[in-house]
Amino acid sequence: MNSILRTEDLCVEYRSREFKQTAKLALKGLNLNVSAGEVFGFLGPNGAGKTTTMNVLLGFVNPTGGTAHLFDVDVREPIARQRIGYLPELTYYYKFLTVEELLRFYASLFEIPRLETESRIGRLLKLVELEHARRQPIRTYSKGMQQRAGLAQALINNPDLLLLDEPTSGLDPLGRMKVREIIRRLKEEGKTVFFSSHELGEVETICDRVAILHQGELKVEGRVDHLLARYQCNLEQVFLKVLEYHPEP
Amino acid sequence: MKASRGILILLLLLAVAFSLATVLQLRTPRWTRRSASDSVLALVFGESRQLFANHFFVKADISFHSGYYPSMFDQARQAEENDNDVSHPGEEEAPKPESGFLGPPTDWIDRFGRHFRPTLHMHLQGGNIREILPWLRISAELDPHRVEAYTVASYWMRKHLGKVDEAEQFLREGLRANPESYELLFELGNLYYDNRHDAGRARNVWLAALRLWQKQEPGKSKPDNLSLDQIAVHLAHLEEQEGNLDRAVEYFEMAKQVSPEPPQLQKQIDEIKQRQSRAGSLSPRRP
Amino acid sequence: MNKIFAIAGVVIKELYRRKDFYVLFVLTALITLLLGSVNFFNDDRIARYLKEICLLLIWVSALVIAITTTARQIPAERENRTIFPLLAKPVTRLEVIIGKFLGCWLAVGVALVVFYLFFGVISGSREHAWPVLKYFQALWLQWTMLAVVIALVVFGSVLFTSPAENVTICFFAVLGILLLGGHLNTAALGQKEPLRAMFYTLYYLIPHLEWFDVRDIVIYDWPLIPWLDCLLATAYAAVYVVLFVFAAWAVFRRKVLTT
Repeated sequence: MNSILRTEDLCVEYRSREFKQTAKLALKGLNLNVSAGEVFGFLGPNGAGKTTTMNVLLGFVNPTGGTAHLFDVDVREPIARQRIGYLPELTYYYKFLTVEELLRFYASLFEIPRLETESRIGRLLKLVELEHARRQPIRTYSKGMQQRAGLAQALINNPDLLLLDEPTSGLDPLGRMKVREIIRRLKEEGKTVFFSSHELGEVETICDRVAILHQGELKVEGRVDHLLARYQCNLEQVFLKVLEYHPEP
Repeated sequence: MKASRGILILLLLLAVAFSLATVLQLRTPRWTRRSASDSVLALVFGESRQLFANHFFVKADISFHSGYYPSMFDQARQAEENDNDVSHPGEEEAPKPESGFLGPPTDWIDRFGRHFRPTLHMHLQGGNIREILPWLRISAELDPHRVEAYTVASYWMRKHLGKVDEAEQFLREGLRANPESYELLFELGNLYYDNRHDAGRARNVWLAALRLWQKQEPGKSKPDNLSLDQIAVHLAHLEEQEGNLDRAVEYFEMAKQVSPEPPQLQKQIDEIKQRQSRAGSLSPRRP
Repeated sequence: MNKIFAIAGVVIKELYRRKDFYVLFVLTALITLLLGSVNFFNDDRIARYLKEICLLLIWVSALVIAITTTARQIPAERENRTIFPLLAKPVTRLEVIIGKFLGCWLAVGVALVVFYLFFGVISGSREHAWPVLKYFQALWLQWTMLAVVIALVVFGSVLFTSPAENVTICFFAVLGILLLGGHLNTAALGQKEPLRAMFYTLYYLIPHLEWFDVRDIVIYDWPLIPWLDCLLATAYAAVYVVLFVFAAWAVFRRKVLTT
């Protein structure tokens, strides 16, 4: 299958500005491979390196070693982001803009023609149920509405790869269900979804493959059903076993 | 119950504030005179307004020169050049052409920069003189003891703008703030003489100016001889025109003591004495 | 280029949805109208003091708008985390820097046009004359000067973490150049080495923003500045703009941005 997202020996080292502080290795030789059309769950405890990986893939941070490619293009090239959509964990957008203006702005960054932009904005606002608030400034939105606006902006360019950082974080159960439905729909359309999450129950139901990261190293990677069969437990138990966590009796 | 208690406390505080205000209103004039001032500028700036008065007086001068004016760096450089340029006694100095404060450009930045600002020495002409008046007004407002703001404004208003009434009003305003100012009285006298053609009032005012000068200046190490010269010469010319030649001579003699050009004044004295003697020889002799 | 203009468009929208511009314009108008209503010796033809005060207020307001608007662009994007969805699009950091610069510059330009229209109305009402070309020259040169200031502030905004720090430093730098920049060579003559060399170095390095202050030309009715000189001054400003924008990009491209 086509490799949409690929990292090879990816290393990221953060150097501290403090005197006599040693550098911190956030990623240690990460090798990832995500194929077209799959929903890939990227798991790990806090500080494992999930966000660092996302930051490298999006070009926010330059790797200190190894390579990362999106659609066979080095992630440091802006063109690598032409076919991706990104939903950050904390959704902050220009508060003085309306969601319509925000989507129009992001569409212009993808150089989408105007007519096509207006048509997509209409469809997306219907999908994320923000039609009624299209002309209100974003500062008047609730958290759930802001999250849905964020999802709309991530889909404005009809991306082939969607990078979602904790997409259901802070959402109520209804909101989470809607996000899951959207992810399923995207998968049916042949899109690739790469997302990090702490909601292992959700990951188990919607992901095809998962990778578990710990202290910058890839601990395990594989199809969800294979992992469940191998470890003979649910995904949460697999997670704890891989991390070698033993609860106190 | 809690809401009504809150309201009661607020009302009590209001009552206390009101009572304090009535008491303090009587006491505050003792602390500062600023609040009693009619002037907005005095109220806002207090005594610091005198610092700004000089700035606006200079602004009037800048306005008079249509923006062509030396900065403090140019003035410092000119002062240094003047200090260095000391003539040796006995040597004659060749006349220097007037080159203005700018001088030749020192580099390409200076040369190019001169395209964007006034670079010619010129004075406002005709009715455009009115443009300096607001700055002089503001300067006088900020520092009512700055006498030259009144005299300069009055001069230009009465001589070039035909605003004699306004000039007189402004001078009187200056005199209210500076009742001992001989400069203001002298300028008022000029107004009466030149514009109102009222020799009597002009004489009275100039004499008052003279008396003030004689009261204030003689004890000083550097008395203001220029003002005395001007007052005395004007009085002399007035008396000459009125036919009071003896008094005219007296005033010319007074001016000669302090004038930078005594020979000129002596010439005028001699002319008057010649006229007196001619008039004396023509009049019929008594038996 | 479309991306740069798109980013610039958002900056312009932000300026006109905030209150700053309107407050400054109303203040300028109020102070000018108040002073215009003052009677100086019963002469209603006095115009220059009003022009001077109005132009001074325009200069101050435009500088405030330029510096405060620009200083918060990049830091606010980082603080509000709007930089992440922006850079996740196929847009380079250079395009972001240029877009921010252009947005601020165009926004200030629109503000200047409004201010100068008001100035034209006020001075025309007194003088009954509208030297349009002279006003255009003054506006153009001031706008060009503000391009240099904005580029400087953009550079400052990637160097300093706090917008307040950037605003203070840039204000002092710009005011220092406007008031003292043209006199550094004169001041240098009065100094001994090595201070003299330092003064001269500074004199040749700084952008001479004082060239662009042609208020005296407008106020005192001096003839128009030769168009070639305006063009050369514009080119001079463009060099400094490119310098500061390039320096800003050189710093920004190495910044680590973490979500």
